[in-house]
Amino acid sequence: MRNTFQSGAIPGARFVDPVVLARIGNLELVARSVVDGFINGMHRSPYFGASVDFAEHRGYTPGDDIRRVDWKLFARTDRFYVKEYEADSNSNFAVLLDVSKSMGFGSTGITKLDYARILTACLTYLVHRQRDRVGLVTFDSEIVEHVPPSAKHMETVLHVLDRTRPLRPGQLRAPLHKLAEHFGRRGLLVLVSDLYEDPEVVFDAVSLLRFRGHDLIVFHVLDPAEIEFPYDEASAFEDLESGEQIPIVPEALKDKYRELVRAHIDALTAKFSELRIDYALLNTAAPLDHALFNYLSMRERMSRVR
Amino acid sequence: MGFVAPLILGALATLAIPVLIHLIQREKKRVVEFPSLMFLRRIPYQSVRRRRIRHWALLMLRLAALALIVAAFARPFFRRNTLAAAAQQSAREVVILVDTSYSMEYGGRWARAQAAARDAINGLSAGDRASFVLFSSGAEVAVRSTSDRGRLGSALAAASAGPGATRFAPALKLAGSLLGESPLPRREVILISDFQRRGWEQTPGRDDVRLPDKTVVTPVAVGDPSSANLSVTPVSLQRTRFENQDRVAVTAGVANRSASAARVTLSLDLNGQQMQALPVSIGPNGTASVTFAPFTVSSRNMRATVRLPPDALARDNVFHFVVSPGEPVRTVVVNRAGAERESLYLLRALSIGDTPRVEITERTSDTLSDNDLRVATVVILNDVPVSDTLADRLARFVIAGGGLLFSSGPHASWPAARADVLPGLPGAIVDRTSGPSARLGALEYSHPVFELFRAPRSGDFSSARFYSYRAIDKPVAPVLARYDDGTPALMERKAAEGRVLLWTSTIDLGWNDLPLKPVFLPFVHTVIRYLSDYAEPPSSQTVGQVVPALRAAHVATSSRGATIALAPSGARLTLGAEDGAIELGEQGFYEVRTQGAGPETATVLASNVDLSESDLTAMDPRELIAAVIGRPATGPNGFAEPRPTDDAQAQAQRLWWYLLVAGGLLLAAETLLSNQLTGVS
Repeated sequence: MRNTFQSGAIPGARFVDPVVLARIGNLELVARSVVDGFINGMHRSPYFGASVDFAEHRGYTPGDDIRRVDWKLFARTDRFYVKEYEADSNSNFAVLLDVSKSMGFGSTGITKLDYARILTACLTYLVHRQRDRVGLVTFDSEIVEHVPPSAKHMETVLHVLDRTRPLRPGQLRAPLHKLAEHFGRRGLLVLVSDLYEDPEVVFDAVSLLRFRGHDLIVFHVLDPAEIEFPYDEASAFEDLESGEQIPIVPEALKDKYRELVRAHIDALTAKFSELRIDYALLNTAAPLDHALFNYLSMRERMSRVR
Repeated sequence: MGFVAPLILGALATLAIPVLIHLIQREKKRVVEFPSLMFLRRIPYQSVRRRRIRHWALLMLRLAALALIVAAFARPFFRRNTLAAAAQQSAREVVILVDTSYSMEYGGRWARAQAAARDAINGLSAGDRASFVLFSSGAEVAVRSTSDRGRLGSALAAASAGPGATRFAPALKLAGSLLGESPLPRREVILISDFQRRGWEQTPGRDDVRLPDKTVVTPVAVGDPSSANLSVTPVSLQRTRFENQDRVAVTAGVANRSASAARVTLSLDLNGQQMQALPVSIGPNGTASVTFAPFTVSSRNMRATVRLPPDALARDNVFHFVVSPGEPVRTVVVNRAGAERESLYLLRALSIGDTPRVEITERTSDTLSDNDLRVATVVILNDVPVSDTLADRLARFVIAGGGLLFSSGPHASWPAARADVLPGLPGAIVDRTSGPSARLGALEYSHPVFELFRAPRSGDFSSARFYSYRAIDKPVAPVLARYDDGTPALMERKAAEGRVLLWTSTIDLGWNDLPLKPVFLPFVHTVIRYLSDYAEPPSSQTVGQVVPALRAAHVATSSRGATIALAPSGARLTLGAEDGAIELGEQGFYEVRTQGAGPETATVLASNVDLSESDLTAMDPRELIAAVIGRPATGPNGFAEPRPTDDAQAQAQRLWWYLLVAGGLLLAAETLLSNQLTGVS
């Protein structure tokens, strides 16, 4: 049966509507249904960490564990080689989830935070099944909840996710800088946010994490209304975070707004690429599998011990 | 000016909708929550000019066209001034109906009615003719169609409210016939009344009232907003018998038709003297009753009155009634000599009961005297052979109004020469002792004798077994009951005022077991009641009621002369022996007796006002007019206007057509103008 999917195409049947998932309520159930369905359909096994398969030999350098020297190869070649295996260690994984008030926006039946919540649950579940340690940090203008990465924290993460509410205005720089100091051990960090900051501020906020050696994936979650701006009637638009209102005539501003959003996304894409940070724009109207696929691709690239 | 369909004018409101939308939108502040204004804030603010009305002429054109079309659909018409039009027309036939029921004595109603009638008379123009009709329970023409205002005024001055109750139907019928006789083209009824609801609702004949076409009905309501009133209610009498004397306990009630409670003293007068007085409390819109201590009925025709203290409507505070000792049904039971025991069950059954009380005399066919027959009301022949002489005497008894029950056992016989008295002659004996016994099959339940047993489980005659009975030779009369083989069991014949029943079996246990059945007792009583034509004498009558004079003077008719009646006012009414009836027109006690006989032989009748009149609740005169003229009263002030002709109606409403055409033209102009403007722009 697995050969059925060897073409690499992901059957559309698995792309469950996020709105439907949001109604389920039980995050673990949601995560399991998304991830298991996803895994079963993949061409390749995703259990990287669990594998002890031989990957390659490399030359011995001082400091390498002497037990990993391939003595048989030494006998044949009289050189020291070290055997490398795929994913021979468990890594730290944490999601940095933006829970500012702007994340509470939703025009399609699901808010950005709900979407991010399900995404986080799915990633956490997936990672947990790989026996990596999972953690979660929620933040707005400061850190709201912090679950340190641990192999036993799967339940806690899901519980924290479940009771997370968008309550306060947010910003990126202060909480992320604080986190960068906190995360001592290198790991994989996934930032889920709507990134309502100037690109420069965003880079400043995440760069410190990157410079500390963390692998970073940024999921930029936006509602379709934020991208398309489908409004027609002249209205007062109120900022969800600041409460400020300005009168807007959408007909006149729509095109300009879309330009600005596109420029913002382009700027982020370019800059993250420079910083070797994976960036993905997630539209809350799109199924979650895309996000997972992005993550797994990323994880596959970095799964080898270098 | 008016509109046939004024509600459609509501559609004019839609003209304001575009303008309203514009105004509302200007004021409304719709708030859209958005995650961040980061990008929006960067866009230079643009104030977008709201669309203004540029082509005022076009807008006005459209609005005017719509308004005209809406107005056209509302069907406008010009209302001609009815009074002005009336003044130009010809003479009228007017019927002035004045309510003289006793409720008109309440407050100032009668004075207002007189003033209204006077205005109506004064309002007659030279060519008009008017009739003056006074009505209460019935209607009476005081002045028939005249143009003489003086006669009308005199009739009005002589009129007064009386003891009658309001009934509109007879008065309107009379007005209809008066108007129908008139050659004048315009007809009008002026109805002056307090318009009591009771006078119209649930009154007989109201559905038959129709006035001639184009009759104008002008109601003049003279009622007061207040209708508080206390009245007595008809009394009920409980008779008991003590030491061969009747005692009567009177229960009287008071109705309070007001929103406040009342406490009054109710008194009982006997023969003009107050005997008892009891206080009674009545809640708002409620009734209460009291029972006076029983008194002995010592003589015939005791005049009794229950009385309340007078109030705004005094007539209904008095209730008169007559109490007399109960008259027994004198019954002679005739047995064969030595066979008295065969009447045991019959006598036991007759001795039970008070309504009527049966006074029994036992005789044999030999001892039955003429005097017995003179005082007797009913004679029962229990299996007796009847000689020709006795048959003749009994025939005379029956023709004089007596009741005869002939029970035909094995010994009964009736001379064929007087076969015209009995419903049939008893014939051969039918023996049903062998085989199944006979049962009573078909009963005539519509007959008074069996009516009591009509309802289910009200007496089972079929349980009685009959072992023998007599066949009937030459049956000539209605059969009231039959055996299961079709042989008559009970037959009836009426002779003059008397009644004869023929029972074809024994009335004791000789041939049947009916006396052992529960139905026997009520059966015997219904037979006696029917044969004696017994009816509980009414203790009181109502004003307007017509009482047969002969019946009224029943006791006094031993010698048939002219009957005279003395009204409560003292007026003397002489009635022939044969011409029938007294109409009770006054409240109080009537005394009826035969001319030449003493007052001790008189019969007294108590006459009371109709107490339904004491409910002063008024109705809307329009309701009555609508019912009478067959269409709603739509004219001003409740007047019913004459129905215009179809042509006149069409003429008056023709305006809509012009409005529609004008609206269409404006729309065409609007199209042209807008095309031009569009082309320009």
